[in-house]
Amino acid sequence: MEGLFFNVDYGYIEGVVRGYRNGLLTGNQYANLTQCDTLQDLKLQLSATDYGNFLASYAGPLSTSVIQDRLSKKMYAEFQYLRSQSLGKLTKFLDYVCYGYMIDNVSLMITGTLHDRDCAEILPKCHPLGWFETLPTLSIATDIESLYSTVLVDTPLAPFFKDCLTVDDLDDLNIEIIRNRLYKNYLEAFKEFIQKEFDGPDLEIMTRLLDFEADKRVINIALNSLNNPDLSPEDKTSLFPQFGRLYPVYHKDLALAEDVEQIKYIVESIGEYLELFSDGHDANGGSKNIEDWFYLLEMQYNKNAFTQQFTLSAVWAWLRSKEQEVRNITWIAECIAQNQKNRINNYISVY
Amino acid sequence: MSGAGNRELVFPTRMTLGLMKGKLKGAQQGHSLLKRKSEALTKRFRDITQRIDEAKRKMGRVMQTAAFSLAEVQYATGDNISYQVQESVQKARFQIRAKQENVSGVYLPAFESHINEDINDFKMTGLGRGGQQVQKAKIVYTKAVETLVELASLQTAFIILDEVIKVTNRRVNAIEHVIIPRTENTISYINSELDELDREEFYRLKKVQEKKQIAVAAEEAEELAKRQAAEGALEDAETEDVDDELDDKVEDVEGAEEEEDEAVAEDASDAASVPASASASAEASPAPAGKKKKNKKKKKKAASTAVQPSESEIIEDVEKLAGGAAAGSEDVLQENEDDIIF
Amino acid sequence: MPPIYLTPSYILFHYLHTTTYLQPPTSPKMSANEAMAKRSLLAVIADEDSVTGLLLAGVGQVLNEPGKESNFLTVVPGKTTQEEVEQAFDRFTGERDDVAILLINQHIADLIRPRVDSYTNAFPAILEIPSKDHPYDPEKDSILKKVRRLFGE
Repeated sequence: MEGLFFNVDYGYIEGVVRGYRNGLLTGNQYANLTQCDTLQDLKLQLSATDYGNFLASYAGPLSTSVIQDRLSKKMYAEFQYLRSQSLGKLTKFLDYVCYGYMIDNVSLMITGTLHDRDCAEILPKCHPLGWFETLPTLSIATDIESLYSTVLVDTPLAPFFKDCLTVDDLDDLNIEIIRNRLYKNYLEAFKEFIQKEFDGPDLEIMTRLLDFEADKRVINIALNSLNNPDLSPEDKTSLFPQFGRLYPVYHKDLALAEDVEQIKYIVESIGEYLELFSDGHDANGGSKNIEDWFYLLEMQYNKNAFTQQFTLSAVWAWLRSKEQEVRNITWIAECIAQNQKNRINNYISVY
Repeated sequence: MSGAGNRELVFPTRMTLGLMKGKLKGAQQGHSLLKRKSEALTKRFRDITQRIDEAKRKMGRVMQTAAFSLAEVQYATGDNISYQVQESVQKARFQIRAKQENVSGVYLPAFESHINEDINDFKMTGLGRGGQQVQKAKIVYTKAVETLVELASLQTAFIILDEVIKVTNRRVNAIEHVIIPRTENTISYINSELDELDREEFYRLKKVQEKKQIAVAAEEAEELAKRQAAEGALEDAETEDVDDELDDKVEDVEGAEEEEDEAVAEDASDAASVPASASASAEASPAPAGKKKKNKKKKKKAASTAVQPSESEIIEDVEKLAGGAAAGSEDVLQENEDDIIF
Repeated sequence: MPPIYLTPSYILFHYLHTTTYLQPPTSPKMSANEAMAKRSLLAVIADEDSVTGLLLAGVGQVLNEPGKESNFLTVVPGKTTQEEVEQAFDRFTGERDDVAILLINQHIADLIRPRVDSYTNAFPAILEIPSKDHPYDPEKDSILKKVRRLFGE
């Protein structure tokens, strides 16, 4: 029944997204890409896909960064189109999707401001999806206090800032911690929004995806801070989003874990994450490392997300898939450019 | 002092000859030592060049692997971490220590990597995503930079050795093609000059003797003429006396000749006095002949006084050389050897 | 007659034995050892990826002292001018006395090739490194060029 009036507001968007989804590269197309010997070949192969002549206007020697840039631009254009066509809770939903990128941009700006960099130098590095109108104004702030108040007043991130960071934190804390704290708040707010606005399969899918996102961050933070004496278990816990499959039972253990084995033991008690640490140590010989497993798992969730109709989560699933696709192509291009063909099959293709 | 090719500006004396010989010996010794040094360095140099060539190729591979690990980071984190990395930098974790290595008397610097594990500006980088890859890339790049440092050591050694070998070869060549020939030239010049002096001296003495003999012969002839003129009046009885006198005179001249080596001036005056005394008995000698003789003597005297100081100096020098130069030149040699020993 | 010239041979040999060790011309008074001990940093002139990687290895140092702000220069194609590269090159090779090795991307060294080729000092050592998009070409390396010239290849 929940699908009854769905198409009134969101039918067009969903249709577009599903069209986009069909444009995602398939296993066959990836196989073709890996056969390329030069970036020119790759460009030719890609022109037969949805990317069309995305490199047509580019003269000069091809490099992976150029390819990545163009691929991303196409993705951003598609997303911007969706955003401009959206209404109602979809607009809000897409805003939430963008907040994640905004966090990256704002932390970038903060870093730049703290180091007295020119804002013209930083702005091009910002993620286009995380762009908001008042972003450039951040660089006007010269000292930390005014920066803090500018962030609070001028950015949509104010709610994430408000309760967790003080002026002093901005100065003392490593920007990575600030970023992760913001991200934690963001994920929690996102989850809250989903639970309030979404229902039925939509809620179900988004909950699964967000839970996974949260767990991914928790595991990553636990792993990456293993040998870091600067980060106490309490600090770590403060960076963990307060939901997900690992919450609340395992968070404390993860924060206290002292080596990979302990983390592995804890994580493997979740059935679906059993694979994560298999071959986790041997990342060289073409086997998958934990990051690859995360990506694979996420892509499977995303693929499954498309099995339900009348869902807004399809947009999220598509965006994530598309990002992965850009990463895949960049990876393949990198392998071709650097002549590392033995690793070329490390991409993740589920469609 | 021109012609005679390339030689040093020295007085051709026996002392200089001794010095020059010492110098030549030193130069030859230095030449052989420097040549050996240059050969040792060149051997090392070729070795290093070989290694540089290999290391540069290895660097190509290592850097490629490293660049690839960065690609992995990018794949894992999804976005570019370079800005973050650049902004997190504070203090160098990877530093260089330079030490020196002695190769055939040349100090070659060698760089050593020194990693301060306490410093880690990138502890937080990739905390939420891709931290594993970041750490991996860090390790790969650390290894790569270690290779680069090794290569830099080789390269610096290369540059320094190149320069030192060039300098050494330049010296070897300078000694071989300039100093040794020049010293040899100088020695042969001094030798020829000394020989020339000897010959001049010999010729001069011969000339002096010749003149004296002519003079003696002339006087004898005069005497004879006088006596023959007087014979008419004095008869044969006096002839014996004259003969005795003549004998004495000849003996005198011979003695003077022997003395001449020691003092030419004395000799000259002696020689002059002999005919004077000889003619003293015959006071009324014919004026034109006597005048002529006097003129000749004067000329000779002038000539001998002009040459005399330098000649006596030379003789003194030579004598000195004979006595002191043996020890002196030995000293010089000793000094040279001291210098040559590295 | 010119004055007597007699070069005492010991002076000649003294000359032969000095200057065997080459000092960096930048610091003629400082002993070579001291000068070397001070040089402990690597400097980098490279593209973004190379700089990132090398910084990850920990070569970067950022101080507040004037003239020693940072020991790396990121060259962004189309943005960084040749003058800036030259300035950085001069700064790292000439002005700074704490740089032991300068790493420079080969394709960037190509921009200022005459400078790099005419650089002959032993300190700091200059090392041309490949970048991600520009594989290493031994033909261009100024040191290898010297090697080849020496062996007449």
